[in-house]
Amino acid sequence: MKALDVSDVTKTFKVKQGSRIIANDKISLKIDEGKIYGLLGPNGAGKSTLINIISGIMLPDHGTLTVFGKNIVTQTVEAKKMMGVVPQEIVTELAFTVQEILHYNAGMYGVPFGERAKLITQVLSDLELEDKRNERARNLSGGMKRRLMIAKAIVRRPRFLILDEPTSGVDVALRQKTWELVRRMNKEGMTILFTTHYIEEAERLCEEISLINHGRVIKEGRVSDIQREFSENVVAFELFDLNVAHLAGVAADGKEFHLPITELDKDMSSVIRHYGSNLKSIKNEAASLEQIFLKLTSQ
Amino acid sequence: MTTYMWALFAREVKRFQKIWFDTVATPIVSTVLYLAIFSVVAAGRTVAGADYTAFVYTGLLGMMMVNSSFSNPAFALILSKNVGTIVDIQLAPIAPWKVGIAYAMAAFTRGLFTVVIAALITIWFIPGIALMHVLVFVAAMFITGLEFGMLGVIIGLLIKNFESFTLVMTFIMQPMIFLAGIFYPLSSLPAPWDYLSLFNPLHHNINLIRYGMIGYADASPLLSFAVMLSISAILFIVMNRIAVRSLKQ
Repeated sequence: MKALDVSDVTKTFKVKQGSRIIANDKISLKIDEGKIYGLLGPNGAGKSTLINIISGIMLPDHGTLTVFGKNIVTQTVEAKKMMGVVPQEIVTELAFTVQEILHYNAGMYGVPFGERAKLITQVLSDLELEDKRNERARNLSGGMKRRLMIAKAIVRRPRFLILDEPTSGVDVALRQKTWELVRRMNKEGMTILFTTHYIEEAERLCEEISLINHGRVIKEGRVSDIQREFSENVVAFELFDLNVAHLAGVAADGKEFHLPITELDKDMSSVIRHYGSNLKSIKNEAASLEQIFLKLTSQ
Repeated sequence: MTTYMWALFAREVKRFQKIWFDTVATPIVSTVLYLAIFSVVAAGRTVAGADYTAFVYTGLLGMMMVNSSFSNPAFALILSKNVGTIVDIQLAPIAPWKVGIAYAMAAFTRGLFTVVIAALITIWFIPGIALMHVLVFVAAMFITGLEFGMLGVIIGLLIKNFESFTLVMTFIMQPMIFLAGIFYPLSSLPAPWDYLSLFNPLHHNINLIRYGMIGYADASPLLSFAVMLSISAILFIVMNRIAVRSLKQ
């Protein structure tokens, strides 16, 4: 069973003079249980609309969505029980203390009264908010509020966690801690879907991604496969002495020389054997997700 | 109530407790002032055979329950839509009608707080007053709290800002309250206003509350009870429909 199965989801919004804009256009994606899946796309690509539909707070015009087999549109309550969602905006009851917020939030997801204290202690420890337990939310810093938003979603350890740009506007240290937490939650068995603007984040965390632009999925699959597809298929190397005889097929590209790859290991060995101590550097240049992202979204 | 509903109900009760001066103290102060004035100005007067101060006292308790239970969910929902915390309710696995009932129950609880405290403070203005029909009084208060709590949920989900809320209070709630027979018996109105007042749903709430407390009724208590139940059922259906529509976009 798929953790998430989105099939042909379309969502349009009315704009002026009766016309409609298409936010999601026949989007399909499948996420296996236990994976970390990234949803990437520029601003206005349709990511948040899709997240809202998956979260059960927005209805699609067409298409079907299931979370662990529960239909999000027709079995909304059952589907929501399995999900934890960290919205993009920091919104919480500012007059409540951190503990109160987590206590009521856990209750609203069916955690019995007697079990809440233990779960709250655990999640406060996970997010390093123990000393803020009795602090009102309005007195927390922006980073702490962001962590509180994550705590609200994971306090009851949902099977499926959705993070809508969880590291947006946070400092580097907190971003790293969020990544660690995401990995830890994933190791505990949580399936995770997150959207991000930070390509590096997707590269580091995700096994699979979907790139969305203008409401459509323009690329999806394993990160490594996508990188391979877009990589320059060459062995790139630099030499100390440029006046040497070259292997067949080697072409100069500025200070670098490129040998087209037919079989990576064999070609790398040939270059090393041929140039020996004259080699200054050698690499197989894999395309970064950022390069792929820019290339695809500019098309 | 399920754990899910109970948590939402408890959260709403906690919310009004946190701002108790606004939500509980303010209506109590205004009721005490009303009664202080009426008990002095109208001392010894009777209306339709009932002591006028006791008559107004019961009406004011009913009005307090109506105001508190209506404004609590309306205010909470408008605020949560404006600051974005409505998403907590949208994301929670709670059926829309249960969300509405949890809010309405919290509304009744706030009404109960204010009514009980105000009643205890002001009962000294009406010496010798006693509850004549306890069960009727309790049932009337409970249904009134839920009924106007549901109306508050509907208004809170429908309107977008506090300016619109003021319009609703001015053009709907205030006329309903002033034409509900809180300060006067229907028999003192000229025809056809006495008859037309029977169509004001709030009149029946005040009528049954007053009957439960001092045994005086402008209209048949059974008719009032039936009207209150019917209005509650209609409000429940409307609330559910609006909640389904509002909590999903």
